[in-house]
Amino acid sequence: MMEREILEKSTKHQCVTATDGREAVEKAQQEHPDLVLMDVVMPRMNGFEACKMMRQQPSTREIPIVLVTTRGEESYMEAGFQSGCNDYITKPIDGAELLALVQSYLGE
Amino acid sequence: MNDDTSDASGQKLSGAEPMNDLRLGAARKRLAESRGQEDAIEGVREIVANFLGSEEIGLFRVDRRTAKLHVFWSFGIDPEKYDLLRALGDAGLERVMRGECHVDLAARDCSGAMAKVQAFVPIRCANQTIAILAILRLLPQKLAFDRSDMELFQLLSDEAAQPLFGPSAYSKLATEGPGTRA
Repeated sequence: MMEREILEKSTKHQCVTATDGREAVEKAQQEHPDLVLMDVVMPRMNGFEACKMMRQQPSTREIPIVLVTTRGEESYMEAGFQSGCNDYITKPIDGAELLALVQSYLGE
Repeated sequence: MNDDTSDASGQKLSGAEPMNDLRLGAARKRLAESRGQEDAIEGVREIVANFLGSEEIGLFRVDRRTAKLHVFWSFGIDPEKYDLLRALGDAGLERVMRGECHVDLAARDCSGAMAKVQAFVPIRCANQTIAILAILRLLPQKLAFDRSDMELFQLLSDEAAQPLFGPSAYSKLATEGPGTRA
């Protein structure tokens, strides 16, 4: 995940990555991260489904989730918010915007 | 966390330029750390989608023996319906074969519909174009390519051949020789 490179080089936060939605849910349960940044389009389980699953699990229910999407239309992202995400960012990724968003959840 | 950025040696940087450097560094690392051809292709897709803002991509291999272009891989387009030669035109093709990126600011795609922007990036190996990466319709929120995108094109042009095609990129050149026009 290339965003990991940007975040780790520009912040003090550590990132744990997953290669698909199912693994993201598993790792969120194991690692209890402070924030989940997740693509909508992923193999095995998409971001909306993974988001829903994390919201159903007591251990991941409260973790802020930011979805990364190619589609920022209101109607589309309504489904994202219904799945339980807190925020979203659209592609192409603007590094400064990404950092500001992460900072708004995790602080400096 | 803060707005500053660190370079590879851990030194603190600040401003917009380092952010572009970070983006280039992330793309370079993604290509270099690809595990095989399939992963390299996925890496190119990620770079184009996440950093350049397009999910309509075609990768065309230059067959230097027959002087033809073949669809090697595509994403988000029907490769059978996409005519690269028509989209590029003779002058554009020559430019790309010489190693220059070609950006069309308002072009028509093969179906005749207006495509806002198209870019054609030569994938180079040993000073020769061995493939062409066509980046087609941009995402609605991405209005145009900017200077930092051009740097990313250059990185793809210079560094994608080896991860995408491996040693065959060089061995084919050695056996087929230079000087073929697509």
